[in-house]
Amino acid sequence: MAINLKPVDVAVIGLGAAGGVAVLPLARAGLKVAGLEAGTWMDPRTFKPDELHNNVRGLLTSVPKANQEVPTVRNSSSGPTRRGNIHPMMNAVGGTSIHYWAQSWRLKAWDFKTRSETIKRYGAGAIPKGTTLEDWPLDYDELEPYYDSIEYEVGVSGKAGNIQGKIDPEGNIFEAPRKREYPMPPLRGSGFTDHMGEVAKQLGWHPYRPPAAINSQEYQGRPGCAFHGYCNRGGCHISAKNSTAVTTIPAAVKTKNLTIFDHAHVTRIVAGADGRVTGVTYIKEGREYFQPAKVVLLASYTYENSRVLLLSKSKAYPNGLSNNHGQVGRHYFAHYQSGVSALFPYDINVWYGTPAQASAVDDWADDGYDHAGLGFIGGTTLQPYTEMHPIEAASMSSYGFAPTWGSKWKAFVRVNAARWVSAYLQTSTFPYEDIYLDLDTEVKDPLGDPVCRVTSLVKDNERRACDYGQKKMEEWFRAAGAVQVSRAPIGPPGVSTHAYGGTRIGDNPETNVLDRWGFSHEAPNLGVLGASVMGTSGARNPTQTAQALAWRTADHLVKSWKSIAG
Amino acid sequence: MPQDDQESRTFSRRTLIAGAALVPVAALAPAAPSSGQSVFSSAERKTLEAFANRLVPSDELGPGAVECGAVSYIDQALGGALADEKTSFIQGLADIDAYARKAHNTAFADLSDEQKDAVLTAMEQGSATGFESARAVFARFRRLTLEGMFCDPYYGGNTSFRGWDMIRYPGPRVAVSPDDQKMRVEIKPYRRSALGANNGH
Repeated sequence: MAINLKPVDVAVIGLGAAGGVAVLPLARAGLKVAGLEAGTWMDPRTFKPDELHNNVRGLLTSVPKANQEVPTVRNSSSGPTRRGNIHPMMNAVGGTSIHYWAQSWRLKAWDFKTRSETIKRYGAGAIPKGTTLEDWPLDYDELEPYYDSIEYEVGVSGKAGNIQGKIDPEGNIFEAPRKREYPMPPLRGSGFTDHMGEVAKQLGWHPYRPPAAINSQEYQGRPGCAFHGYCNRGGCHISAKNSTAVTTIPAAVKTKNLTIFDHAHVTRIVAGADGRVTGVTYIKEGREYFQPAKVVLLASYTYENSRVLLLSKSKAYPNGLSNNHGQVGRHYFAHYQSGVSALFPYDINVWYGTPAQASAVDDWADDGYDHAGLGFIGGTTLQPYTEMHPIEAASMSSYGFAPTWGSKWKAFVRVNAARWVSAYLQTSTFPYEDIYLDLDTEVKDPLGDPVCRVTSLVKDNERRACDYGQKKMEEWFRAAGAVQVSRAPIGPPGVSTHAYGGTRIGDNPETNVLDRWGFSHEAPNLGVLGASVMGTSGARNPTQTAQALAWRTADHLVKSWKSIAG
Repeated sequence: MPQDDQESRTFSRRTLIAGAALVPVAALAPAAPSSGQSVFSSAERKTLEAFANRLVPSDELGPGAVECGAVSYIDQALGGALADEKTSFIQGLADIDAYARKAHNTAFADLSDEQKDAVLTAMEQGSATGFESARAVFARFRRLTLEGMFCDPYYGGNTSFRGWDMIRYPGPRVAVSPDDQKMRVEIKPYRRSALGANNGH
């Protein structure tokens, strides 16, 4: 049946943002690594500065495997499910780090210890009702060296706000202390983002240019960003965006210890009667292969991580791999959508640049302000940004000034399409009892395997936190001269690129799939990588934290090779 | 893909510049899906043009949707990338005409502007009859009209960059200077398609 391949030390499933990072410390340590990737190498010269291709038709992201496995979504455990056509993630060497915004943040110390810090400051009654929130099994200081590795190995631009306790107001003064400065200065501001920064200062806030895994200058032989403006859902044709396809993966390949198996569609992780995993089954060009491995690291993104485990049933794991405690798929959550747009009375020219070329404010994020009486914990980063495309611009809200078509619409849009902008708001999100991932009971992929099903609903804590953030953003836009502002409805997150949990890390095996190092409490030679291991989101993009954790898990594997590999 | 291919992908300045050249629109090969064959009959085209011209009319402020290439874009898209929705789109045109005849005893294209606008309004509000969903047809026609007006001309729309000029989108550029990102200034339009015959840029 399956063709047996030569055994390796470690099989890594998925060479995206997380798996693509973990292969480097493993390969450097001399371990033989098989990288199983459903996509293949992409040629940067084929990346298009084109809105229809990238944004409207989603052609860069529309890779057959991912799109056959788009999860279904429902808003309660008894509600109807719906399903989109295009997965927000993609299959490729480098994965979604090819087309992401490349915003590359560290979490705050508070994000790791939200439960205990909240109880300490506000009492146990402040913990949101129904949440399954736990403190992380590690604190910020333990992850700091790995954040540092990512910033230097992958390449992150930014300005430190706190180097070992020394505060610099040019950076984010609210950030947790870091050992040293970023390897590159921040991306330059644009006219619009600089203006927003000045206004934030007048409000008494503390704006900064946010960190990005985009070169602000030449770094490791690749050029600085040219700000040409097709970064959102587009690949960088000059490789100034530091996807793992141009950073850690080529570095791992250079050691000759990483072998990449592309177009490898992983179907199951195989476990023996003793509960240890023995390798990975995948399909390539219609043929089934078995890749034996001493250790398996699953890094296929949040939805697929839970799905592959739930599909991988065996005698030792009748309910899915590492699921004898029923925790696979639990403690899932995703950032809410809660943007704010604004109309200015003059051209703001946000056509070019990249969304990471922004002005950000942390004054209303995390627990940096007193929440007494507010009715929620957590907070929101506010971030007006650049990069607008013409179809998107013309599809603007008319803010009640014009109908949606006809001469009046045209008169409005020809003046105002160049005068509006969106701000990106990210709000702390927590896990709850009734929000989870499982397998859909009806929808299947072409192999006959059920797709992942998301059960997701709006929670009061997050709704209030989003609402508070939107108010602050409106205040900021109005102070900056906006004549109209408009809030996006605070919606329950559907299938998201900021999806967390399902395979949470924690010391308690009753409530966590993985131990503090990212290895299974049940199958000792199985590790999981990606934001699926995180127990809180923070108010910022997940990638750098997922990457730092992946590096840490790989580092732990190297240091504990004998005890884990057996 | 062999690993040495990745090695050869280290970027020299030379490959950057060579790979970054924008192709002038005049040098473009015909857009991929164009076979020269329209998906519309002449009557269907007439209905669509009349509809698009009410969505975004040609007036004293400048060209409308048809002059901006919306119809030729939709024609090419339905013949290629959006072939899956060709049948439902053409059904939508038939439904518009049928509704116009029912409400006004005349084919849509031959109605007065006021009558046409009444049809569009009824569709947008969902009160127009005979459609599977008049609202959905209106929203999709409007959406594709905007795509056709403001897309890269490679796709058959945005004729002579009229759409981009209308909203002052200055066009895709290889490199963008700080001056190109200033507020309250006029950015000199760079009227080029970004998509060449080899789909690179």
